[in-house]
Amino acid sequence: MLTRKSLARYSGYLFVLPYLALFTVFLLIPLLYGLGLSLYRRELLTSIPARFIGIGNYVEALHDAYFWKALLATFRFVLVATPLTVCAALAIAVVLSRTSGKLQTFLRAAYFAPTILTVSVAGILWRWFYNSEFGLFNAYLGHLGIKAPWLTNNSWALISIALMTLWWTVGGPMVVLLAGIHHIPPQYHEAASLDGADGYRQFLHITLPLLRPVLLFVVVLNIIGSFQVFGQTFMITRGGPEMSTRSLVQYIYETAFNNYRMGYASSLSWLLFLVIAAFSAVQFRLMREQ
Amino acid sequence: MAQQELIPSSGKTGIAAAVVRIVAIIGALVFAAPILLIFITAFKPDSEIVDFRGILPQSPTLQNFHEILGSPEEIPIARWFGNSLLISTLTTALVLTVDSLAAYGLARLNLPGKRWVLGVIVATLMVPGQILLVPVYLILNRLGWLDSPLALIVPAGAGAFGVFLLHQFFLNIPKDLEEAAALDGCSRFGIFLHVALPLSMPALATLGIFTFIGSWNDFLGPLVFLDSVDKYTLPVGIALFQTSYYAEYGLTLAASVLCTLPVMIVFLRFQRHIIQGIALTGLKD
Repeated sequence: MLTRKSLARYSGYLFVLPYLALFTVFLLIPLLYGLGLSLYRRELLTSIPARFIGIGNYVEALHDAYFWKALLATFRFVLVATPLTVCAALAIAVVLSRTSGKLQTFLRAAYFAPTILTVSVAGILWRWFYNSEFGLFNAYLGHLGIKAPWLTNNSWALISIALMTLWWTVGGPMVVLLAGIHHIPPQYHEAASLDGADGYRQFLHITLPLLRPVLLFVVVLNIIGSFQVFGQTFMITRGGPEMSTRSLVQYIYETAFNNYRMGYASSLSWLLFLVIAAFSAVQFRLMREQ
Repeated sequence: MAQQELIPSSGKTGIAAAVVRIVAIIGALVFAAPILLIFITAFKPDSEIVDFRGILPQSPTLQNFHEILGSPEEIPIARWFGNSLLISTLTTALVLTVDSLAAYGLARLNLPGKRWVLGVIVATLMVPGQILLVPVYLILNRLGWLDSPLALIVPAGAGAFGVFLLHQFFLNIPKDLEEAAALDGCSRFGIFLHVALPLSMPALATLGIFTFIGSWNDFLGPLVFLDSVDKYTLPVGIALFQTSYYAEYGLTLAASVLCTLPVMIVFLRFQRHIIQGIALTGLKD
């Protein structure tokens, strides 16, 4: 039986209740609902009632050439964008760590600023830069007699998107890495300087090893984000040319909201989730071993 | 830096430091330039955009702004601005309210089973957002909230990040202050309101700024949950714009200025707050 005292203890849950209600309805339930949905044939525009088909959707995905193509495009994007963005973030952070005061604050803000643009604005801007006829890049390259197929060639398009992503998203990882560098006790660098180690050696033998946990954290977050790429490709190339930049999230979006195949789209979402979870698990294992 | 004080800087390291500084400044200008370019190019007539002659407009004009603001039937940009402002403001208010209450309860009150509850909430930080898109759409459909601002405001209150952030903060508030307030006859809600909240202003500000910018910039949510053009927010409105006014970059860039200005002001005003918040939490977006 509930005594007055234990009732008073539970009454504290009134604080947590509003959030828990939202959390349950818009996070916990959708998570499980989505998993259940992935086992059904559920199509919104037809009058056919939802039908349980077990792992039918997953089997369909394995035989779906568009799924594999989107998965491949996504993998290629992760492989190009993540190393590019994290290396650039590290380079900027190391350079900024050698400045101080107002100059550092100004530089940090300038490198970070693109991150606060919404993806449609950033995408429109870069679509103009990359435009083959009146784009800014080709206008300048034209003086040298060069015309680059930024978005019209299959292999260029993916790299162009990755470059834009570098510009747009480098700020977050850069700020985290810079904070990590500031946490390294200055005595290490002082001792190395006295031993005559130059800046490059200090970076290789002090900064990099001590930064490793932060760096791995940044890499894992970036990989998770890159696997979910959507806005940039949707705005800049619409997935083209020849679907070479159609990401998995764009395929899920089109399956669910152009074709209204909700069950199949859910199974694709869970497949992407499994891929991301597997990658994260490997990364965390590597982190623990080191 | 410390090692420069220890070692008398020779000419060589002095030059190296100067080179590093110059490279950093040039790089920063390259990164910031595209944003400035939005603002500059919005004042160019289309002919100057298509036939690029230089960064600055030769005959600056307000024509692009006149056109996007002057035809509310075709381009309801003032509505989009209003929708964006309403959704971002209410989302921020909702998140701050429910998250601070929940985080306080879980950090400070002696609730049975609270470790377990917190564990489940924090575990969902790992869940990628794309997986919720289809089921949340179907739930909103059943609630009849699709194509309404509610579809974007209410589900945003379910995110775990704010509870996690504020929980860490509340744990570090000294207990004596709350005990003193309790001795003065303050209720638990009174202590939360008059002691805990004022002490957590920095964390609340960080969460508020992140939530506002995140909601203002959200693209996938409005794209999926909204249907009628006059219900759109600025980011999706601009995306639609681009498909119907394909080559008219002047108009699109003028609209982009209106979309970017509010977050740019928030960023410039609170940039230390934002950057420190990201460094602390390791948050990416």
